[in-house]
Amino acid sequence: MDTLNELLGGFATAMTWQNLIFAFLGCLLGTIIGVLPGVGPVAGVALLIPLTLNLDPAGSIIMLCAIFYGTQYGGTITSVLLNTPGEASSAITTIDGYAMTKIGRAGAALTLAAVGSFIGGTVATIGLVAAAKPLGELGLLVGPPEFFALMVVGISLLVALAGKSMVKALISGALGLLISMVGIDPVAGAPRFTFGMDRLLDGVSFVAVIVGVFGLSEILSYRKNAETPLVHAPGFRSLFPSRTEWRRSAPAMARGTGVGFGLGLIPGMTGSVSSLLSYASEKKFSHFRHELGRGAVEGVAGPETANNAHANAALIPLFTLGIPASPTIAVLMGAFLQQGLTPGPSLFTEHSEIAWAIIASLFIGNVLLLLLNVPLVGLWTSILRVPTPILTALILLFMVIGAYTINFSVFDVFVMIGFGLLGLALRNLDIPLAPMVLTLVLGPLMERSLRESLEISQGDFSVFLNRPISAVLIALGVLIICSPLLKFRKPKALTEDPEA
Amino acid sequence: MKISAAVAAVALLALTGCGASAGASSATGDDFPKKGKSIDLVVAFASGGAVDTAARLVQPVLEKELGTNVEVINKPGAGGQIGYTALTSAKPDGYTIGATGSPSVVVSPLDPSRGAKYTRSSFQPLGRQVIDPAVIAVQPDNPYKTLKELLDAVKANPKSLTASTTGLQTGEHFALAQIQETTGAEFAPVHFSEGASQATTAFLGKHVDVLVANVSDVTDLTKQNKARVLGIMTAERSPSLPDVPTFKESGYDVEAGTARGYSAPAGLPDAVAKKLEAALQKAIEDPEVVKKMNDLGLQTSYLSGKDYETFWAGQEADFKKVLPLVQKKD
Repeated sequence: MDTLNELLGGFATAMTWQNLIFAFLGCLLGTIIGVLPGVGPVAGVALLIPLTLNLDPAGSIIMLCAIFYGTQYGGTITSVLLNTPGEASSAITTIDGYAMTKIGRAGAALTLAAVGSFIGGTVATIGLVAAAKPLGELGLLVGPPEFFALMVVGISLLVALAGKSMVKALISGALGLLISMVGIDPVAGAPRFTFGMDRLLDGVSFVAVIVGVFGLSEILSYRKNAETPLVHAPGFRSLFPSRTEWRRSAPAMARGTGVGFGLGLIPGMTGSVSSLLSYASEKKFSHFRHELGRGAVEGVAGPETANNAHANAALIPLFTLGIPASPTIAVLMGAFLQQGLTPGPSLFTEHSEIAWAIIASLFIGNVLLLLLNVPLVGLWTSILRVPTPILTALILLFMVIGAYTINFSVFDVFVMIGFGLLGLALRNLDIPLAPMVLTLVLGPLMERSLRESLEISQGDFSVFLNRPISAVLIALGVLIICSPLLKFRKPKALTEDPEA
Repeated sequence: MKISAAVAAVALLALTGCGASAGASSATGDDFPKKGKSIDLVVAFASGGAVDTAARLVQPVLEKELGTNVEVINKPGAGGQIGYTALTSAKPDGYTIGATGSPSVVVSPLDPSRGAKYTRSSFQPLGRQVIDPAVIAVQPDNPYKTLKELLDAVKANPKSLTASTTGLQTGEHFALAQIQETTGAEFAPVHFSEGASQATTAFLGKHVDVLVANVSDVTDLTKQNKARVLGIMTAERSPSLPDVPTFKESGYDVEAGTARGYSAPAGLPDAVAKKLEAALQKAIEDPEVVKKMNDLGLQTSYLSGKDYETFWAGQEADFKKVLPLVQKKD
């Protein structure tokens, strides 16, 4: 019952009107990012961090989390109505979603996707509540050596996010580590890589780097091919699925929840993998598999449930272990750290109130998204009518203002622009950006826990192997790092993962 | 069609506008603080620690006294150096003030290897709020029942026990150095640069043997019987830990602790400094704030800006003595 009390306490915090407004704003912005085909979730969350920097920790994280899962809802809308996925994780939805639009069932498709998303997200959040307490209890068992080992596991995910070329992934990861080293050394207090510049003593602003590398470079490399066709939002009447459609969707949603939740727990898997596998499982198990591809509701309900279950389940390793499972979550983790919260086992021992408030807000956010999404389809699609040049200019303006407001310094704006150009160069060289954000966030934590551990053991490296938890975790990390050498064939869904 | 596109564009523009705020202007003092311009209170330590808690208690009263928003901004890291650098490099216009705590603020400029960009004269002290004595604590089931037993054991076996600090050359580290200087007992320090809550978590998880902390950090822990405090480094016993003997009673002449107050970057216009000092005194001596500080195990002991400056200079002289013991030996 302890968990329930803490969750209720969390609801009390999350239900204050200002936190409700933050959750609402987050859902709104997240949906918009989801709808815009040019802005992915990583860029979107990165670009909105500056908005939340000056809020109190709870409000800021509530808003960012809402943005994060809001993107999963928004991506569906364009998939169904336009045959253009707003997000990679909704790509597979285009097949049956757009087919449903052509037979005049667009409204039903969107409603089923929203309801499925709500169910998937809520079930995964219940999972987080169940996992939080036992793993939070582990908080005290995790000392610096164990935390270091967790970070090793986190960094080893580079392998999973590497995409096609391991060398390029390592280049990207090393760059991130290098950037994270700039500033005053956290243990001895000596300045590093500051080149005598006062401005660099604080390190390079994480937010400016992220906004530049992910946001700006994405905008710079975004080329629009065709005019967006005019979209006719479905009428209010057509939003209600028929009884048959509900009946057929239910098992697909159940399967989608299972697939998304399971894969979301595995660090290194992205939401796209979940939606692809959910579609594959519909092809195998659905009673109406012969209809898939011609507007079958299962092809919408399954994957859309799966990607939201995945998004919310991926918060479980973040909250309880401090391991970011995907690039978007790594950016989210960076935002936690900006607010002085270290995600991981100690979160529940040191800041349990905030942690539970955030968890409670996940439930609220899922309800808000359900209410927001379907009736307002017309509004979302009208965003697509804003001409691309104007939209791009607005986003650029937003980035510059955002970078400036971090510390009210023009220096940060130049940092953002510089890193935007770097991001563009990396994209053109086909170097993945995901490893960079991972090391940028985990690097400093890894360094600090390494040095604390060695102070505890007075310089003896065996401290990591003498303690059971850290030994197991280090072994796991080494195993993941060596996995490509074991000629382990990645499933097809992984190698073709557009988000990695 | 055109109209809804325009509406959407305007909505986006409105969204981009929120969160941005206007630039800075210089203050002469009479019109300080300007309406709607908020004051940043830089805290050089993570949220949840003692410095942060005190600042957040003072903040609402300051807002009332000054008639403007006061924002607490955490800039933790490098034993406070990051936050102090930010504070001293801010414009001395009264719109940036900071919580200053010793020893961190006193010591970081003394050690040339740390490359601090500020000295004592970079700060303009505005008022002292509390003195928080250092304590030494062990696990409740620890075999050492008294301070003497613990120190004798460590004397016999130098560096056999690890002790937490909140970073290199912090109050806890100096306390350990002063113990070593006076008693000859040398602990192996483990520096948790993120602050007291991280050090306490590591102690509760039994990753370090001895918790060196301030009275305020251990008041709750002793109530919950999670730590046994063996000694307190003050001249007299603390009202919040009446059962804990002082080091003096146990026969060791060690006094250590942290003092916390508020300062601005040096060079404030007089009128602005006066307004800030007066508001701070009101906030620090506010009965509600004093009571809440007491609940945290913190004794309010207000000093005006001038007296705080004298006290600061005195501490600087004390710390210079044991400095060689706390410098990083590579």
